[in-house]
Amino acid sequence: MSLPSSSPWRAYDWQLIQDAPIPPVMHMALDEALLEEVAARRRPPTLRIWEWAASAVVIGRFQSLRNEVDSEGAHRHGVQIVRRITGGGAMFIEPGNTITYSIYAPVELVAGMSMVDSYAFFDRWVLDALASLGVEAWYQPINDITSAAGKIGGAAQTRRGGAVLHHVTMAYDIDSAKMLEVLRIGREKLSDKGIASAARRVDPLRRQTGLPREAIIERMVDTFRAQNGLTDSAIKPEEWQSAKRLVETKFGTDAWLRTVP
Amino acid sequence: MHGEYKIPGGKLVVVDLNVADGALRDVVLSGDFFIEPAEALEWMAATLEGLPADTPVETIAERVRAAAAHAELLGITPEGVAEAVRRALQGGAQ
Repeated sequence: MSLPSSSPWRAYDWQLIQDAPIPPVMHMALDEALLEEVAARRRPPTLRIWEWAASAVVIGRFQSLRNEVDSEGAHRHGVQIVRRITGGGAMFIEPGNTITYSIYAPVELVAGMSMVDSYAFFDRWVLDALASLGVEAWYQPINDITSAAGKIGGAAQTRRGGAVLHHVTMAYDIDSAKMLEVLRIGREKLSDKGIASAARRVDPLRRQTGLPREAIIERMVDTFRAQNGLTDSAIKPEEWQSAKRLVETKFGTDAWLRTVP
Repeated sequence: MHGEYKIPGGKLVVVDLNVADGALRDVVLSGDFFIEPAEALEWMAATLEGLPADTPVETIAERVRAAAAHAELLGITPEGVAEAVRRALQGGAQ
């Protein structure tokens, strides 16, 4: 399962950030702040495991807020609405129901690779980790992690200077009924098939593994560490400051949320 | 008016627009695709603003292609945008 030591990942001193739960909008800001840090070479390449302090709908950079989100349904369920800096589709998040991580890497890691190929490349270690837990998952281009039983997760990327952000959300568990009350696209896409098939479309890792969420994350981290090396790290005070500024000036503003109305 | 087109092997492209005096107005492009740089979304929408509503889809695709010449598109194509525009105009208000 281990890659040879000539693996391009091995050229870097990978850092692990695994922190306490934080609000969804702070996650959005940290992604930009840490991407900038890696682009400026102030931070080595980093793997960050997310913990969510609140439920959220996270919409893609290019998605229309009103087309994707039922704002009233989100409000009713106490679900916060945020927009991320990467493209891709809307996700419904509840703390403990998803496994989310970000990779901040120099673009040289994927030099000469097409964008499509780089998606699969960035998540190869995750497929290995899932395989070691008995889940046969594979990449469905462009950006889906899937299995015979159904879709498991989705990835998204963006680039800034010399760095690339690749982040992924996988379903650990899912409340399909609630999801359909906060996401419009889900409801419309599935309007002719009903809720039952919506639940089948995604097959969460809890059902596939029978394991606690923490055990899956631990196996993922172990797998990354074994393949690429991994040093325990933390978000620096100045990185927190940058992220807080970005919440005030960008991610927490209505202008950003409605950048595509 | 609202048009959606799922690009085969790609992503969903959505167009919302109005027509005034036979011309496209208030064009908003959206979807779950990927574009670098992000500003290219506005470049593509801006190139459609004011275009006659009877512009052939091939011409729309050409304009979008020119507008996005310096961008990287993933899951979205100029032809896909043109098709979403066509569907919006055909479907009328939604």
